[in-house]
Amino acid sequence: MSVVIDVKNIGVSFQRNRKRNFSVREMLLQGKNTSPRGSFWALRNVNFQVNAGEAVGLMGANGEGKSTLLRLIAGVLLPDEGSVEVKGGVAPLIELTGGLKSDLTARDNIALVAGLHGLKKAEVKKRFNNIVEFAEIGDFLDTPVRHFSSGMKVRLGFSIVTSIDEPIILVDEALAVGDAAFMQKCYVRMKDLLNQGKTLFLVSHKEKDLKEFCTRGLYLKDGTLAVDGTLTQALAAYRADAGISDD
Amino acid sequence: MGKFGALRILIFRDLQIRYAGTWLGYFWTLLDPLAMSAIYWFVFSYILGGRSVGETPYILFLLTGVLAWTWFNGSVTDSARTLVLESKMIRSIAIPRYLWVIKSIGAKGTEFLFSLPILVAVAVIAKGQVSLQLLFFPLAFVVQFLLLSGIGLILAPLTVLARDTTNVLRIILRMMFYLTPIIYGLNDIPEKYQALAMLNPLTGIIVMYRAGFWANDNLMTPIIFSITISVAIFILGIFVFKKLERAVLKEV
Repeated sequence: MSVVIDVKNIGVSFQRNRKRNFSVREMLLQGKNTSPRGSFWALRNVNFQVNAGEAVGLMGANGEGKSTLLRLIAGVLLPDEGSVEVKGGVAPLIELTGGLKSDLTARDNIALVAGLHGLKKAEVKKRFNNIVEFAEIGDFLDTPVRHFSSGMKVRLGFSIVTSIDEPIILVDEALAVGDAAFMQKCYVRMKDLLNQGKTLFLVSHKEKDLKEFCTRGLYLKDGTLAVDGTLTQALAAYRADAGISDD
Repeated sequence: MGKFGALRILIFRDLQIRYAGTWLGYFWTLLDPLAMSAIYWFVFSYILGGRSVGETPYILFLLTGVLAWTWFNGSVTDSARTLVLESKMIRSIAIPRYLWVIKSIGAKGTEFLFSLPILVAVAVIAKGQVSLQLLFFPLAFVVQFLLLSGIGLILAPLTVLARDTTNVLRIILRMMFYLTPIIYGLNDIPEKYQALAMLNPLTGIIVMYRAGFWANDNLMTPIIFSITISVAIFILGIFVFKKLERAVLKEV
């Protein structure tokens, strides 16, 4: 088994007071910084490895560092401690519509986003029809994306990123988007990708999604990895903690 | 895909957006510096009653400076804001972050190159003389690219961490336009201040752009100044960007 994601002892700290402007103003007015000083660790001492072909579900309450961890693996955030090694390309289903430019047409956006994710021009051409068909935007190819409904934008984003054919797929609660019919298509496509032997790293609150795809479970609590085991183990721990804090 | 591929895509996208939804499209690239030069030419040649600065033909003199300034001004403004404006893309696509800075300069640089036909046309119409020193023109382009990259790499992360940077920048750029030999020449500055003017790296760059049209025997000093300072700013830019990148990614 080959390791494709190797997370070594990572730590990420954020400023507690993120309004730097305020502290600058206070420094000038009062000669000292009265805002809550220092930083907190959103993630610390997290270690794990993911093998090729594994389907890992990541869970945890809000603000426990799930998205932070996902962004580290996607390479759009850098750790303050430790290292994240990812072998092979990543298809990040994070902020699906973030890569789209509203002034450009759907056609241009496909070339743009697929290209930035590393797809060659010829490859984009080959997959173009599939992307359009899956997103169900055939009639709006030459319409600027700013005229799209939010559902259409999400469908387009999902369709492009799941078409770039990278070995690792990262999902941040965006597994199923759009209306009921499209959600069904998303599930089928994710299953397809898994069957092709791709590695899946899924962040979700939905037990149904986690059970549908994942066999392994990671549970984040207080910025550290509380459980790294089977999905059932991780879910049990997550549920138990949630049950207590719900009262 | 190489970084070069991503850079090409981003520059192409910027130009696409720039020209999308405009009627005149590319002609704005030509009209803008031409209109600006024409205004200064009119003011200095007629309203202020006879001009005592610059070289003849003055419209050509103005245009060389204004074109370089248009690229400078546009790049500094754009690259300073790029990490803020593209935050959504930066959060979802893992390409090297410095590419966002370089693409802003590359896109404006491409527009600069696209606007050169207007310089050729004006040179022909105004009967400008050309010498072998025109070879400094491409060198000026390279040095300006280097300088802009350095400035962009410093300003882009600063703007993310303190949004006031944009406001400060607007004032500084306005001052710089008049403090740089654009509507006048380096030789028009009182001699005791010329060394000071050469500390502005844009001075030497504009001297290089103009060298092909007006023979100048006082070339080397401003050129050496500008190359040295540009390289220093570029190195400083790499250093600052590396230092702040981690913090920037947390804030975008």
